[in-house]
Amino acid sequence: MTGTPTFRDGLLAAVPTLRAFAISLAKDADRADDLVQETLVKAWSKQDSFQPGTNLRAWLFTILRNEFYSQMRKRRREVEDAEGTMTESLSVRPSQESSSDLADFCKALALLPEDQREAIILVGASGFSYEEAAAICGCAVGTIKSRVSRARARLQDILGIEGEGEFGPDSIAAQATNVA
Amino acid sequence: MAGRKRTGTGCETGFEKGMTKQNSDRRRNSHKRRLVSDPLGPNSEIGRKLKQYYDALISDEVPDRFSQLLSELEKKEKLNTPRQAAKED
Repeated sequence: MTGTPTFRDGLLAAVPTLRAFAISLAKDADRADDLVQETLVKAWSKQDSFQPGTNLRAWLFTILRNEFYSQMRKRRREVEDAEGTMTESLSVRPSQESSSDLADFCKALALLPEDQREAIILVGASGFSYEEAAAICGCAVGTIKSRVSRARARLQDILGIEGEGEFGPDSIAAQATNVA
Repeated sequence: MAGRKRTGTGCETGFEKGMTKQNSDRRRNSHKRRLVSDPLGPNSEIGRKLKQYYDALISDEVPDRFSQLLSELEKKEKLNTPRQAAKED
């Protein structure tokens, strides 16, 4: 059956996180909303290919990501440096402006290559497993792991954060406490 | 994968691979591993900042246009496929 309220509800519920992912990719709030809109239209027309019971959010992220890269390819053909380089900062929402710490983080994130940025967002922020992120990006799990690791190292470098001893006994103990 | 439907434009390439039940065990195990040495976990400054950044974006108010869009898509579908809808009932 097509167009069940559940599918519609699922799409609507995913919008906030789709927008967050879209902004992280596109670095621009308006463009991000257009991407989300396009994603919803595509998802609606392809809903027969969605397998109920599988991860709807991951499916939508895959569509959004494909849409983003296909738009980018198109843009690059159209613009070909005529307009110069795009603004090199992720747009900061009004609600975020109060925190300069967060603004610094946005800038640092914007400096990452796209493949690293999407990998660290998917795994570190959107809550996907490495396996899910690999499926969304259509690459090997090892590739995602290395992109995340490079992204993290680069962010630490840009933000001047000392290398954290994530393998040290203290950190493991702290995480065990956090989990418990 | 029996019963897998035609996938159209290829957006799903590799997607099902990661989402099958077979993989859910593996996923759980990898989750366990991540708890032990998660470089983006709550103990990592980058991990915390990432979540702070993302949470701020997610808590942003969602414009009405998306809900309106879905309503339009739903309406259009009902208008375009009345016979199909009747068959399904």
